[in-house]
Amino acid sequence: MKKDQLQLERRNFLKASAAFGGASLLGALPFRAFAQAANLAPADRCFVFLYFSGGWDVLLSLDPRDPNIFTPDRVSETRILPGYSLLSNDSSFPTSVVTPAERPGAGPSNIKFGPAIGRLANHYDQMCVIRGINMTTVAHEVGFRYFLTGKEPNGSAARGSSTATEIVGQMKPTNPVPSIAYGIESYNDRYPGAANALRVSRANDLILTLSPSPTQLDSEIEKQLVNLRGQTVTCEADAYDTRGLVGQYREARSQMATVLGNSLNKSFTYADVPTDPPALNAERAAVRAAYGLTLPINYDSAAGRAAMVATALKKGISQCVSMNLVGGLDTHFGTQLTHATNQRTAWNAIGDLVSDLRSSPHPSGGNFMDHTTFLVFSEFSRTPLINGTGGRDHHISSSALLMGAGIKHNTVYGKAGDIGMGPGLVNRSTGLPDPKGMVILPEDVIATVLASAKLDYAITRTEPLKAILT
Amino acid sequence: MRIPLVGLLFSALVLTACSNKPAEVPRAGTLTPVELANHPPITPLPDPELQGGHVGRAPRRITVAQLKASILTVSGRQWSQIDNLAASLGKADYALVNAESVEPNLVFAKFLEDGAREVCTGAAAADLTTPNAADRILSPEVPASITDLSKIDAATAQKNLVYLSTRIWGQPLAGAELETWTSAFTTMAARAQAANKKREAWGAICIAMMTDPRFITY
Repeated sequence: MKKDQLQLERRNFLKASAAFGGASLLGALPFRAFAQAANLAPADRCFVFLYFSGGWDVLLSLDPRDPNIFTPDRVSETRILPGYSLLSNDSSFPTSVVTPAERPGAGPSNIKFGPAIGRLANHYDQMCVIRGINMTTVAHEVGFRYFLTGKEPNGSAARGSSTATEIVGQMKPTNPVPSIAYGIESYNDRYPGAANALRVSRANDLILTLSPSPTQLDSEIEKQLVNLRGQTVTCEADAYDTRGLVGQYREARSQMATVLGNSLNKSFTYADVPTDPPALNAERAAVRAAYGLTLPINYDSAAGRAAMVATALKKGISQCVSMNLVGGLDTHFGTQLTHATNQRTAWNAIGDLVSDLRSSPHPSGGNFMDHTTFLVFSEFSRTPLINGTGGRDHHISSSALLMGAGIKHNTVYGKAGDIGMGPGLVNRSTGLPDPKGMVILPEDVIATVLASAKLDYAITRTEPLKAILT
Repeated sequence: MRIPLVGLLFSALVLTACSNKPAEVPRAGTLTPVELANHPPITPLPDPELQGGHVGRAPRRITVAQLKASILTVSGRQWSQIDNLAASLGKADYALVNAESVEPNLVFAKFLEDGAREVCTGAAAADLTTPNAADRILSPEVPASITDLSKIDAATAQKNLVYLSTRIWGQPLAGAELETWTSAFTTMAARAQAANKKREAWGAICIAMMTDPRFITY
């Protein structure tokens, strides 16, 4: 064994030992597993699921229409009103379709965007936009649960596991918190508790989960507590576990021990802490600069959340991060400007996240974007016509954005109709409109995400969109 | 097939017990069961041995509302953060989330640990200043005259452990498991006495019980 390797293993062993002695909440975690977990390494394949809550207006971002063609005069014919002129009160918004500037070496963009796309447009060479998806619903909880699982909900109740759970369940990563679900639901219907997401509704709860308990006991008593918890369970206790509930809970406690042993809360703190090493504070300053975060940090902003995604992936804390990135999009009564502003905030945050991942080398070679697949989605889109109160209502057709590893880049797949933006019929092998083709459903997109990493997609009961797989 | 046999025995016992009563003669106007000759066959309960060892509904994790009520019941005090953390613990807000999550996941495990530590050490500290043993929450079986925790004998410790487990889990510790807990308590009590952290003796036992699967499942 090489000396470097030996030193590394010894360091990990000592780190694990310190954590084992220091963490107060250790359950019956095998020491070998603990030592392994203490060595944080980024997953070779990472996944990011970003949800735009409320139903987005795809005309403003992923599925634009030229306002010179889709004019108010033709609205009775096209049933589409882009409404870009209604953004003119804010000069930072373009009032026409956005064609990104060519990125050196990437060739011109094949994708056009709406005016709210913001800085993400610069990364067109990493994207595949899927248009004309038939959501089959205009109910919020049905739509987002459909996209989370790739299975049409039963009424409004989700069926099956979340895609992130499916990925973690199949890939079994060694990351201490394999999956994080932030402000978003997560389901597990067939995998062990280790595949459960760390599910939090606020940034502060995420940090609290990763922080030591505020009430600490005497160290000797803590050790006794650990010993007591490690005792063999009795028949009575075991009887409760005939269907795995107790096993899930025990696994959650083991995860907890790993998380606390690694002081992961420090990784998600972006304000300087004087008592922390200078290198860690310098890293925090770099994160603040990359995501435009100012003190005091608003962790629950889109930028704060995007920074947390990067931290979770780059530090090897998680393999999958699912996040409700932005809300305020259910604008039945709001103005176009309000909706566009909220959307752009999220797209800018994603743009910064992609920039960060593209500029961060991955230990296995290439950069983090080469190892990460993104799915950006909403529960449905908004009507292509503006209603009597200046807003837009729920529309059954939507778009989704795939980016990164395993996906064909700089591509558009599918098309919503030019009359009323109805769900499109496409030739599945080309993605081009075809009146004899098939509709695109959320399960097709989820199957594609799973197939992009060569995972089993049988749960979706469909075939992936092979034309956009690399 | 152990359970059906036990069931038969139980039925026999019930019948025996009932047979002590004088047989009731149906009175005029009362209804008597009617034999249905063409009644469709009744599916018997499944054999547990063919059902992975279980029959009936699966155990469930308690909801946030149940947790809140349980903490108050067993410790006599409320965890200060439970309302703040309710959403992450799984409580539905019926605005954005309309289904209660009862997954025993990492967040639940960690926050339950935090909550147990807060209320258990609080209750144990309050017990130390309660002169009448019967009024104590966590140690009513320990005579008030015993102020040195290391002087609590095994029988007293066991009596209190049985009380606490019944209070927190609804089932008493017994057998080898009781011995294990007694031994753990004896060591903790000695350390708590020596370190002058008396509240941590019964407090730690309470934490262990409140974070045990038996507390969170039903």
